Amino acid sequence: MIDETEATAAVPEQQVMIRLESLTKRYPGQAEPAVDAISMDIPTGEVVVLVGPSGCGKTTTLKMINRIIEPTSGRIILDGDDVTHANADHLRRRIGYVIQQIGLFPHMTIAQNVGLVPGLLGWGRDRVGERVDELLELVGLEPSEYRSRYPKELSGGQRQRVGVARALGGDPPVMLMDEPFGAIDPITRDRLQNEFLRIQADTQKTVVFVTHDIDEAIKMGDRIAILSRQSHIAQYDTPETILTAPADGFVEDFIGSGAALKRLNLTRVRDVELGQWAVAPVDEDRATLRQMLADSNHGSVLLVDDQNRPQRWVTGRDLARASEPVERIGLPATAQVEPHATLRDALDEMVTSTVGCVIVTDSRGAYQGVVDLETVMKAVDEMRTAARTRDRAAAGAGTARVDPDGEAG
Amino acid sequence: MADPTTTVDIAAPGVGRGADELLAELGGPSRLWRWIVTPVVLGGICVALYVYVQGQELDRIEVASLNAPMIRQRLIEHLHLTLVSTFFVILIAVPLGIVLTRPWARPVTPLFLGIANIGQAVPSIGVLVLLAVTVGIGFEQAIYALVLYATLPVLRNTMVGLDQVDPSLIEAARGMGLTSRGVLARIELPLAVPVMLAGIRTALVINVGTAALATFIGAGGLGWIINQGNVQNRTPVLLTGSILTAVVALALDWIAGIVEDVLRPKGL
Repeated sequence: MIDETEATAAVPEQQVMIRLESLTKRYPGQAEPAVDAISMDIPTGEVVVLVGPSGCGKTTTLKMINRIIEPTSGRIILDGDDVTHANADHLRRRIGYVIQQIGLFPHMTIAQNVGLVPGLLGWGRDRVGERVDELLELVGLEPSEYRSRYPKELSGGQRQRVGVARALGGDPPVMLMDEPFGAIDPITRDRLQNEFLRIQADTQKTVVFVTHDIDEAIKMGDRIAILSRQSHIAQYDTPETILTAPADGFVEDFIGSGAALKRLNLTRVRDVELGQWAVAPVDEDRATLRQMLADSNHGSVLLVDDQNRPQRWVTGRDLARASEPVERIGLPATAQVEPHATLRDALDEMVTSTVGCVIVTDSRGAYQGVVDLETVMKAVDEMRTAARTRDRAAAGAGTARVDPDGEAG
Repeated sequence: MADPTTTVDIAAPGVGRGADELLAELGGPSRLWRWIVTPVVLGGICVALYVYVQGQELDRIEVASLNAPMIRQRLIEHLHLTLVSTFFVILIAVPLGIVLTRPWARPVTPLFLGIANIGQAVPSIGVLVLLAVTVGIGFEQAIYALVLYATLPVLRNTMVGLDQVDPSLIEAARGMGLTSRGVLARIELPLAVPVMLAGIRTALVINVGTAALATFIGAGGLGWIINQGNVQNRTPVLLTGSILTAVVALALDWIAGIVEDVLRPKGL
């Protein structure tokens, strides 16, 4: 994660997909504009999160991009074209749109919902069908099972997956997402967020994502724009910078306490160096285990099964109790995470662990290594140093705009 | 909708999956009953009426009203009045309802609803007489009155049906690049269909009843038989006219119910 961000910063000639120029929305009869002259560049292939307190105008800003809400003044430039006055219907077919209420059409099957935009774009029946299957597979719904179902037959999480698939229908370069996971229970939300990140890694869309949840913003965003009243940009930067160097008091307040802890969301387990532990097969004899314990500087040995899956923690005292067979002594090896988990997840697990570290396993459950508190501390330190270095490098250029500004024109 | 457990209870153990699925497709046993019971009951009433009339010694005056060609003629007149007026009601009220729910027409909506309300609030016989006095008598004038009278339920239900479509669906559809006409045709109207059909069904039944008054402005119908029975003081004639009117109303309601079941979009 850290590496990726540095890479982005090092490629300034990156294209701008969406540019907003002094975009303003004024409602008749209201003294102050809802959105007051917001200008920002959204780089191609990145997830930009608009985050801010309720009523700050973030949703209005988003809806002006596909002109569901027509701006009062200002310009929207999409991939180099000024679309402020272009045909709104044609514009919207180039922009995927996901809303919190999902808005699946209840009288249409899943396939009809997902195939709607491809149909509007004039794709042939066969091509639409293929596209529908491809998208359902992408969002993890078996096409043969879900194609002909109706939305009411799906759970909330499944519906939101279909919502994402539908927005991807016409393979738009841009996706607008308005609190897409806002109405979903926390566990499902977490899974959908991870899945969305996986899909995004494949599809590389330019995504504008609105949320009021700073944790979601940190998790989803390549860049975050923190908005205050009337969509004034308080800070527009990478999550790392926002967490390590908040621009002002407003941003600091909005991030809230525990910025250091939130920063742990930015680093994934696969990005840190894993520690190693004394590992032995479950059927190892006790003498060997005792020897291993003596040789290692840890207080326990991790037993793994024949497929290298962690089974139990065994300490010297457990070994001393001679009556039980080896595979029944010690404690079960809980507190396991996969490499794509964040350090925050790892830390959560660590707290519940009996030996003070989490086991990292691959997707098949095989042992990879461990993460302990020391690793986490080191990662936090590195992040702080990196942010400080970047700050020094960017000294003086403290604007809300993204660097590639000048090069894109 | 039928409770799924009921479906399971009723299906005999020997019945294959196919029958079960067919039953579910038709909307479960309750709908099947609705489809079958009404015509059976109505048929029974007609048979009972026939037996009753056959059992009477009919005098010459009664025979003048109660003979097959006459009854057939009046029945056809009645159906003609009902169906033609309902057709025009749909033709007028549905497009009007669509127009009045468009955002730009909102200011004039109360005006049209008010007019439609007056149409229904004035007693139907009053509307008929008023028309007879102003534009004359006959089939055409009867149709005017019936249309005026039954427009409100269809108009109101069209508007309610369109208004109750979840705004987030419309936003999603617009956001996907559907034109406003596309949203209307593919999202709003299909979702409003159940409510609209309920309004049309109401109008149909109202029209069967009101068409019975059309005889007073010379448009015939089953009301003629009722009126004959009344003025000539002949109970069998009166009964036949009344019962046939009721049977026609229930039969049309039954057909409209089936149409509703069939046209209701799946997935709702």
